[in-house]
Amino acid sequence: MMGAARPGRPALRRAQREALMGVLFAAPFALGMLLVVVLPLLGVIGISLTQWSLLDAPRWVGLHNYARLAADPAFLRSAGVTAAFTAGILVLNISVALALATLLNAKLRGIGVFRTIIFSPVVMPVVAWALVWKFLLQPDGTVNAGLSRLGAGDANLLFTPGTALWTVVVIEVIKAVGLNAVIFLSALQGVPPELHEAARLDGASPWQVFRHITLPLISPTFFLVFIVTLIGALKLFTPVYVLTGGGPADATTTLIVYMFKQGFQFFEFGYASAVATVLFVIVLALTVAQWSLRRRLVFYES
Amino acid sequence: MRAERAPRWSWALYALLILVSLPFLLPLLWLLLSAFKTSAAIFSSPFDLDPARLSAANFRQVFAEYPFARQYFNSVYIAALVVPLTMGLSALAGYAFARLRFPGRDAVFILTLVAMMVPSELTAVPQFVVFSRLGLTNSHLPVIVTQIFSATGALAVFLMRQHFITLPPELDDAGRVDGLGTLGVFRHIMLPLSRPALATVAIFAVLNSWNDYFNPLIYLSREGLLTLPLALQRFTDPLGGVYWNLTLAGGVLVALPVLLTFLLAQRQFIESLAASGTKG
Repeated sequence: MMGAARPGRPALRRAQREALMGVLFAAPFALGMLLVVVLPLLGVIGISLTQWSLLDAPRWVGLHNYARLAADPAFLRSAGVTAAFTAGILVLNISVALALATLLNAKLRGIGVFRTIIFSPVVMPVVAWALVWKFLLQPDGTVNAGLSRLGAGDANLLFTPGTALWTVVVIEVIKAVGLNAVIFLSALQGVPPELHEAARLDGASPWQVFRHITLPLISPTFFLVFIVTLIGALKLFTPVYVLTGGGPADATTTLIVYMFKQGFQFFEFGYASAVATVLFVIVLALTVAQWSLRRRLVFYES
Repeated sequence: MRAERAPRWSWALYALLILVSLPFLLPLLWLLLSAFKTSAAIFSSPFDLDPARLSAANFRQVFAEYPFARQYFNSVYIAALVVPLTMGLSALAGYAFARLRFPGRDAVFILTLVAMMVPSELTAVPQFVVFSRLGLTNSHLPVIVTQIFSATGALAVFLMRQHFITLPPELDDAGRVDGLGTLGVFRHIMLPLSRPALATVAIFAVLNSWNDYFNPLIYLSREGLLTLPLALQRFTDPLGGVYWNLTLAGGVLVALPVLLTFLLAQRQFIESLAASGTKG
C-alpha cells in the first residue's frame, strides 16, 4: 500500500511517513517485548498442558496439570497464603500510607527530614533489607529477645508457622509503604485548602471532612495505589524467599514461590506453568476489572 | 488554618513523627553499625556504639576472601547497560505511542500494559527453556534482556507515553515548520523537554536492575558471574551457617551507592515519583 502513494497527495504521503516512523520508533521495544513477554506467556500456557522435566521430551497431558492443581493441598494452601498475604499487605500498606501522608503533610520545619526517613527503605536493596530483618528475627536475635524481655515468652516470629506470614507482611510494608505515602502526600497537597475550611465552617468533623472531601478528591490516586499495590503483592517473591524460603512448614509459600519450587527445584516445568497460568489469569482479571471499574469508582473533579 | 494551629501542637507532632520514624530508620542504622562489628558482638551487644570496638575488618575480608569485587563489577556493568537502553527504547516507543499514528499501535500498546502488569516471574519457565537451549545459562545476557523488555521496560514505555501526551502538539508543528523530520523533532525538541520523565525511568531502571534477584537466581550459578543480591547470601560457612558480620558488611556495600544517590537527589526523586503517581 505504501508504494501505491499517488503523487500530489502530500497529506497522504505524510500520514504514511508518520506510520513508517511510528513503526520504526516502536519496533525495538515491541519486538523485544514480543520475544521476552508475549511469546513466553503463550509458551506458559502451552507448557502447562505437558509433563516436562526439561531433560526429556515434553509429554502432552492435556488438562491433567489443572486437575492435579485442583486436588493438590499444597497448591490450594499456597493460593490461600497468597490471598492472606495480598490482603494483609493491601490493607496495612494503604492505611499506613494514608496515615503517614496525612502526618507528613503537616507544615512543620524539618518535615522533609521525616519524609526522607520514611521513604529511605524504598530505595534500600530488597535483599539487604530482608537479610537485616532475617538477622534481627533470628531465634535468639534482637527482636525475639526484646519481646521475651517484655514478657512475651519464647517468641520466634519468623520461624513459627502461625506468625511467619504476618511478620513478612509487616517487614514488606515497612519497606514499601514510603512510596505510597509519598504518592498520597502529593495527592493531598493537590486538595484545595478552601474546601476544607468551608466544610469546617459548616461544622463538619475532621473525619467527615476526610470522608466527604479529601477521599473523593484523592480517589484517582487511591485507585492507582490500590491496583499497583495489589499486583505488587501478588508477585512478591524476593523478600519472601530470602526471609523464609517459603517456610516454616510452607506457611509463607505463595503462588510465585510454589511455582518457583515446582519448576526450578523439582523440575516439574509443566506443573509450574499451570500454576503460572492460574496466576496470569488472576492478574489479567484484576487488570481488566481495574479498567472497567475505574470510571464508576473514581470521582473526577471535572 | 493549619499554620495557625501548628505552633500549639508542633511538639506533639514532632514526638509522633520521631516515634513513627523509628521502624524506618533503625534497621538502616543498625545495619550500618553492625557491619563494623564481629559476629559475636552483633549478637551480644547490638546497640553498642563504642568506636573502639568497631573495625573495618569485615569489609576487608569480604573483598579478600570472596569474589565480591568481581560481583560488584557485574552488578554495575549490567545496570550500566540496562539503564540507558531502557531510557532510549522507552523514549522512542513512548513517543510513537503518544504522537504518531501507525497501524497496530493500540494493540501493541495494550500488550505493553499487559507486560507491565504481569509479574515477570510468570514467564520464567519458557524464557528459561529458550535461553538454556541457546546455551546462555550462566551468562548475563538473559538477566539483561529480561530487565529491559519485561515489566520494568513496559512501565518505562507507559511513563514516557504519559509524558509525551502532556506536551502541546504545537511543538511538533513548530519543529516541522523549521524543516525537522520526525527524528529531528524527537531529538531536538521532545527529548530535551523529557528530562524529568527520563529521570523517573532511570530511577526505576536502576532500582530494578540493582535489585533483580529472581532472574540471576535462575540463570547464574557460577560464583564469579553472580550479581550482588545473590552474592549477599553466599557468605556462609561449609555447613551453611551464615557469617552475619560479612553479610551485613556486604549489605552496606550494596546499599551504599543507592542510598547516597537517593540522599543527593532526594527532592527530585520523590517529586518525580509523586508526579508519576498522580498522573497515572
